[in-house]
Amino acid sequence: MAGKKSLHIESSGQLCVYCGACVGVCPLNCIFLDETRITFDERICTRCEICVKACPVGAIEID
Amino acid sequence: MVKDLTTDVLVVGAGPSGSMTAKFAAKNGAKVLMIEKRQEIGSPVRCGEGMSKDWLKEVGIAPSPRWINVEVEGARIFSPSEQCFEINEKSAGNEVGYVVERDAFDKQLAIDAANAGAEILLKTSATGILKDGGRVVGVRAKAFGEPFEIRAKVTIGADGFESQVGRWAGLPTNLALRDMDSCLQYRMTDVECDTRYCDFYLGSVAPGGYVWIFPKADGLANVGIGVQLSQIKEPAAARTYLDKWIAAHPGYAKGKTIDVVGGGVSIAPPLKQTTADGVMIVGDAARMIDPLTGGGIANGCLAGKLCGEVAADAALKGTPTKEFFQAYEKGWRLRLEEKLYRNWLAKEKLCSLSDATFNKVVDALQGVKLQKLTVHNILKAVRDKYPEVTKEFEAFL
Repeated sequence: MAGKKSLHIESSGQLCVYCGACVGVCPLNCIFLDETRITFDERICTRCEICVKACPVGAIEID
Repeated sequence: MVKDLTTDVLVVGAGPSGSMTAKFAAKNGAKVLMIEKRQEIGSPVRCGEGMSKDWLKEVGIAPSPRWINVEVEGARIFSPSEQCFEINEKSAGNEVGYVVERDAFDKQLAIDAANAGAEILLKTSATGILKDGGRVVGVRAKAFGEPFEIRAKVTIGADGFESQVGRWAGLPTNLALRDMDSCLQYRMTDVECDTRYCDFYLGSVAPGGYVWIFPKADGLANVGIGVQLSQIKEPAAARTYLDKWIAAHPGYAKGKTIDVVGGGVSIAPPLKQTTADGVMIVGDAARMIDPLTGGGIANGCLAGKLCGEVAADAALKGTPTKEFFQAYEKGWRLRLEEKLYRNWLAKEKLCSLSDATFNKVVDALQGVKLQKLTVHNILKAVRDKYPEVTKEFEAFL
């Protein structure tokens, strides 16, 4: 999407501990936790980066 | 194909708040269904497992060795210079208690709910909300991957920090950055901790939060950290600060981690609204966590009991309206709101203190025998030794 930075959630288990912190902090409720998979809605996400701060293990990156 | 279901009271989430709600709704005559997205109630644990104990009787939970791991004598608060003062049962009664096995505790509360007559469905998650006009009338759900609908007279969101039900219902549950902590905890073995105390380390070791040590039997301990989101500059802050703290403490650095637990914790003032037509939210989902201690079990259970009673009453009378739910809205506020707000103010103040000030406050409390740990008594001790520091606390008075 033009103008938007790219958000990457590492939820294969290398970093992610599936705690749901990112889901809880997302002000637009566009991150979803499905037990062992985390997805987000690219169209709704504004790259506010709150989830990046909330993730205790650094599994979310924005560049 | 899973069959669509109909119930009086639907509880989404089988943590302590959900199970208490389910139990008391069932006890009061309602047909209750509690759904849980996980395959095992209480597992994986997402909690520091420290719990106060004075409230248990109020909600009818009998202490049991099945879920109590250690009964502590008190808590120790460590300043950045690592002087400490002790809070014990005599000086602060209600804030000390047990280190528990949360998985066993959650299962026990779910068993209590089931024994009261509630049905439980595991591996069943809510995927959306059902509305009729403006009123919530249940959820769209998925069980073992199959979609179906659950229709309910009253729907309860007990779905934790990452709560969806409240947001789908349009309840204002969003949090400010300063009202959230990013948390990480290691369950460690072979550490040197004192099972008489829960320990808390304050200051720049954990900006806007603290490092906690909740001791468990046999050389185990939950070693964790909360960091305020508004003070986080880099990704993985919680892990970075926790690892740094552990590395600086040989008694813990030698330990081995056997479990990693992450999570978000709200440290927010009470929500303005926790009910709407057809729906109520409770526990962490309703941001009922104590903003000073980060503890959520007691408040969730206390509110859950009330929520269940009101839900049953509304379902049986056929009046699941926002107006009727005022009995819950007002009831939980009467029991919890003043303390939640006071502790939120205290949290705001604590987050602003420098390490130097923390050191002075804790130093001033050394050797002073406080009869009762009140803000007034703490201020007096600080004023006697460091009159200049008291100015920073004037807002409290």
